[in-house]
Amino acid sequence: MISAGWILPALVAAPAILAGLSLLARSPRAALRVGAAATAALALAAGCAVAQVFLHGPLQCAGGWFYLDALSAYHLAILMLVFVLCSCFAIVYFREEIAAGHFTRKLARRYQSLWFGSLAAMNLVLVSNNLGVMWVGVEATTLLSAFLICIHASPQALEAMWKYLLMCSVGVALAFAGILLLAATASTSLSGHDALLWTRLMNPAVTLNPMLVKVAFIFLVVGFGTKAGLAPMHSWLPDAHSQSPSPVSAMFSGILLTTAMYGILRYIPLVERATGNTGWGREVLVALGLLSVLVGAAFVIGQQDVKRLLAYSSVENMGIITLGIGLGGVGVYAALLHTLNNSLCKSVSFCCAGRIGQIYGSLDMRRIKGMLKVSPLWGGGLLAGLMALIGVAPFALFISEFLTVRAAWNQAAYWPMGLLLFGLGLVFIGVLRKAIPMAWEPPESAPKPLRTYRAEALLVWTPLALLLLLGLWIPRPLGAMIAQAAAVLGVTP
Amino acid sequence: MNAWTDIMLVVLILTTFWLLGSSRLASCIRICAIQGVATGLLGVVGGGITIRVAAISLAVIVLKGLAFPWLLSRALRESNTSHEVQPFVGYVASLLVGVVILGLSFWADSCLPSLSHVASRLVVPVAFALLIAGLFLIVARKTAVNQVLGYLVMENGIYTFGFGVVREIPALVELGVLMDVFVAVFVMGIAIYRINRTFDHIDSDQLTLLKG
Repeated sequence: MISAGWILPALVAAPAILAGLSLLARSPRAALRVGAAATAALALAAGCAVAQVFLHGPLQCAGGWFYLDALSAYHLAILMLVFVLCSCFAIVYFREEIAAGHFTRKLARRYQSLWFGSLAAMNLVLVSNNLGVMWVGVEATTLLSAFLICIHASPQALEAMWKYLLMCSVGVALAFAGILLLAATASTSLSGHDALLWTRLMNPAVTLNPMLVKVAFIFLVVGFGTKAGLAPMHSWLPDAHSQSPSPVSAMFSGILLTTAMYGILRYIPLVERATGNTGWGREVLVALGLLSVLVGAAFVIGQQDVKRLLAYSSVENMGIITLGIGLGGVGVYAALLHTLNNSLCKSVSFCCAGRIGQIYGSLDMRRIKGMLKVSPLWGGGLLAGLMALIGVAPFALFISEFLTVRAAWNQAAYWPMGLLLFGLGLVFIGVLRKAIPMAWEPPESAPKPLRTYRAEALLVWTPLALLLLLGLWIPRPLGAMIAQAAAVLGVTP
Repeated sequence: MNAWTDIMLVVLILTTFWLLGSSRLASCIRICAIQGVATGLLGVVGGGITIRVAAISLAVIVLKGLAFPWLLSRALRESNTSHEVQPFVGYVASLLVGVVILGLSFWADSCLPSLSHVASRLVVPVAFALLIAGLFLIVARKTAVNQVLGYLVMENGIYTFGFGVVREIPALVELGVLMDVFVAVFVMGIAIYRINRTFDHIDSDQLTLLKG
């Protein structure tokens, strides 16, 4: 496997090089098109690595500094899926802005370069075995993606960027204190070079002090939780998601939050072992997950801005994932499946919402009326996306939410189950109340629809069809992938 | 273990208090520079200098003692805001909060099981105090520059902690972390510049367009 392992550093290096090359793009259109093509090529390479992992076991390289196991490979697959989708959408989204001269060559170069930079940083998070390097990756995603929010420098976008930058930098710095604590307790039995390698830490011979590991885990959950948008550290999230250009919001919601979540997941087996499988770490996650579900649901109710609504739905969905992981057993499968479903559904919803916003010239849901008639493609996509998000039956999100509820039932955790159902119900009503007038109420003044090409339908309906398919039938390879990823988290089938 | 280490740790605490009670932004930046240099020296005075320790300490001193203050004072010069700190929490109250934070840090340290190879018994409480004082500075001060300073104080605390309890973090990780901090301050500097250009001020408490 040594030869195959070299793909891992390449997955970080290639987007980093592309980030540099993007600065030489000839025109805005070329920057976006070449960017999308290159992302697709990278996705193919990543796909090979993922397949390798699931068929032949974990890949590693460079003395174990790079490592890809089932858990990270699963996240890598989702990451590339979201990035390909969003890169293709960017071509559509910026078309009118390019024609109007608002998206100049300078902006396009900066945009595409930061885009690839974020991709490189996220890949670094997923392929590094060293927990310190993983931290460096998470912090780098914050820094590289901050200016993506304010590509168009409006006062609101700058405010959102400052909040994002400061809150996430501070939060992630706290996570580093947690990593240091972990290293301090591990360095009694591991030498300096190995003290932060995840695979070495997982060695059962390594003794970890339970008290210190608990303190470390609190720091880590607060730190990475800030970036993952868990309540009560979520306040940057709705601002950043609503102010950035739609391809960026789609990427943020689809994968940036998930990558930070992955940071937390890595520590769960360590904490479980150090605390003697008492489930202490999982209880922390259950509490935090429930809080996020409830806070997200409460804020969904009063929203007028469609992208803010989707952003609070992200808080809720990250809460469901955290809760599922915390419940353990079936909950872990549900959470991993929900990660995929949420990423797909969120990115397609943000894309459609952005396009609808461009058509109506506003993201205010009181002004968006009759979107099905005005733009069957984007309006229909947004409606279907919203329906999937609230867990309408045939879509895959229903299955993963149902499995989470069942996990709570199996564990006899009736309080969390009741609160989760309450939160889901609130979101269901809150979104439906907004979605129905948006879809069917006659518009006050018909806005001029933007030109739609046939290929754009693929962009909207492929992910939605996939969600529908996953809701009806989970293919055996995917099921096996999720089972293997769950096994990394200590859940035996 | 080493008297010089303790002296540096005391310098760290004193500069934090000085920062809590200072009213002019320019002097805050200077105090932060002194603290940065003290943080860097911590690695050198501890004894057992290797090339790795020396290189990282040098990088810390150059970055935190020279590069960051220069970046921040440039951002400050180009902004046309008042050069006062404008605290939400007054100076005397801030100092009192500082005393409470220090007391809490010593108490928290006594609760934790002792770490195996700590350079000095003061390391962990001082690091905690810096961490929390940094957070306090971020929420209790109005200007964006001050929030960056708070972030730096926090970062100094984390570095101190890392130096004190885990001497053997791989150099690559440490350099990566340093680079991230550098880029963070750099990006924040640019952000301050752009906020100032758009809003005509850098008071982050007036960034209130987004609600709900």
